[in-house]
Amino acid sequence: MPKLSTDERLQRLLALIPWVASRDGPRVDDVCARFGCTQPELIADLDLLFLCGLHPYTPDMLIDVDIADGRVWIRYAEYFARPLRLTPADGLALLAAGRTVLATSGGDDGGPLDRGLAKLAGAMGVDVGEAVAIELGPVAEDLLRTLRSAVDDSRQVEIDYYSFGRDERARRVIDPYAVFSAGGQWYVSGWCHRVDDERLFRIDRVATATPLGSTFDRPAAPPELTAYRPDAADPRVTLELDPSARWVAEQYPVEKVTEVDGGRLRVTLVASQPAWLERLLLRLGPRATVVDGESGIAAVAARRLLLRYQG
Amino acid sequence: MSSGPPGLSVGRRAVPLASGTMHRLERLINLVAALLHAERPLTTEELRNRLPGYADDHGSFRRAFERDKEALRDLGIPVVVEPVDEATQPGVVGYRIPKESYYLKDPGLEPDELAALHLAASAVRLDGASGVEALWKLGGEVAEQGGAAGPGPTAAVAALPGAAHLAPIFAAISVRRRIGFVYRDRARVVDPWRLSFRSGHWYLAGHDHDAGEERMFRLDRVSSEVEPASGEGAFERPHHVGAQPPPWQMGAGEALTARLLVDAGQAAWAAGHVGPDAVEAWRPDGSVVLAVRVTNRDALRSFVLGFLDHAEVLGPPELRDDMVQWLEDLAGPEGPGVDRVALGADDQCRS
Repeated sequence: MPKLSTDERLQRLLALIPWVASRDGPRVDDVCARFGCTQPELIADLDLLFLCGLHPYTPDMLIDVDIADGRVWIRYAEYFARPLRLTPADGLALLAAGRTVLATSGGDDGGPLDRGLAKLAGAMGVDVGEAVAIELGPVAEDLLRTLRSAVDDSRQVEIDYYSFGRDERARRVIDPYAVFSAGGQWYVSGWCHRVDDERLFRIDRVATATPLGSTFDRPAAPPELTAYRPDAADPRVTLELDPSARWVAEQYPVEKVTEVDGGRLRVTLVASQPAWLERLLLRLGPRATVVDGESGIAAVAARRLLLRYQG
Repeated sequence: MSSGPPGLSVGRRAVPLASGTMHRLERLINLVAALLHAERPLTTEELRNRLPGYADDHGSFRRAFERDKEALRDLGIPVVVEPVDEATQPGVVGYRIPKESYYLKDPGLEPDELAALHLAASAVRLDGASGVEALWKLGGEVAEQGGAAGPGPTAAVAALPGAAHLAPIFAAISVRRRIGFVYRDRARVVDPWRLSFRSGHWYLAGHDHDAGEERMFRLDRVSSEVEPASGEGAFERPHHVGAQPPPWQMGAGEALTARLLVDAGQAAWAAGHVGPDAVEAWRPDGSVVLAVRVTNRDALRSFVLGFLDHAEVLGPPELRDDMVQWLEDLAGPEGPGVDRVALGADDQCRS
């Protein structure tokens, strides 16, 4: 636990005092476990607390702190009888965390999390299902379960994966390091034996995952992979966008943005993956013009798609 | 004072330390105690006289007190300013912490409920808020397996990005306070109903007073502070706020049902994305036919184009014609017929 600031210590004390005061000498180690501190940290805080109280700070006006036989008592602090109310940020953090877990574990109807969240939301004056909703992308639960247990067992898996950027499907054997959700999508990170490198896979693009008989040695510190790593060698494309397509500059990492006449925008994007650029240009249609880079991509892609609509 | 085990003794100092050397934490606790205990507002003069640990000269006291007061408010402690007594001391204001707004309304969590919340808070991190302080207030962290050591820190399995206005908007939702903010260059007045996180972004659903109807706002496009625009309890929350519709249903166009064919390779993903109710039929070759209600044709076209040549619009004819027209305009003057053979060959190379 990193060292707390004075404000954080105050926050902890204001919660700890009523908890201890309402009990008859709870164990010091229980107090430490509950409030996430070491014994010396707790003693340091209590050392200060017991100089505190009300004007004129005569002994009868001070908070009484007693530690004996591994137990602790706090008395004469009636004004601290209850913890500080939850702030909106407190409440939101807990409700969002709880809703996320419910959304990804297939629910917990009537279980402890479900009940706890309902009580918490009630105390905040909201209905838990109606105030906060979390969606982390549609992912089959059994797939998540398979991948998670493969991570836990350091077991290799074969995945049937659709590469969105290359528009290609292939079977790959991976050593899965971690399953996590970031930015609203689920990912599995790991070593891909097909490319002999670390890769991040979006789980909604995994069609099937089959655990193999073989295990692998987990690296001591699995690398932090990010979903998008532009490379200096990746090709760039510069587009001129209509005012109605300016959202492209908000939505995608752009390297350069210049205003052009009439509310038009000129942006330079990294286009390492041809299928990604095809999709973008097909969707933008007449709202975008390629001013630097391969200019025939959209036309070629459009002709390929039109084949489906003929005959 | 009882004597405790070695290393666990707390000794009372006979005389309070001189001001200036007093720990700021001690000063803050005394300040909270004084303001919380006060039956009437305390003036700054009274606070200076009563509280140890502040400098005697007025200027330094004032600065230190202002800083402490802001620190308390940042923690969510409701320090209010009120007239002391209009009859006898007109214009004089003082400070206090009203007990009724300070004290937690105890939700009465059972130990297993607290443990489940703790587990959730350690598994999901919402940017900029850990949930730990909230758990302290609710009785501290309760490990699922007992024992002093408890489980090690759990790696976060999900990280939710934060957004600048999440906390104030959630506060407004919980007390049903109308809010105002600038969105897409226009000032809006909104009854906030619900926050949702979808496709990597936070959205607010609520009643937009200008538009006179329910609207969704993406929080990262709110370009001003969120200001209160009413007192508490300003509106009734509707009971079933609609879940956020997909983009192709977020439009004012005439409603149509589009039939889409998605090839086997993408079929499962597509069906998962539109939901089971929209699946019309699975074909023997593994492809799927979807029937999707549409009020925004641009958004539907974008969705279908995302599949490249692995999907097509089957009908109705006007939607299929829309798509063909769109693609022909992009394909340019070299009509599709000209390149047909060459492209077929190119397709062979790809697979």
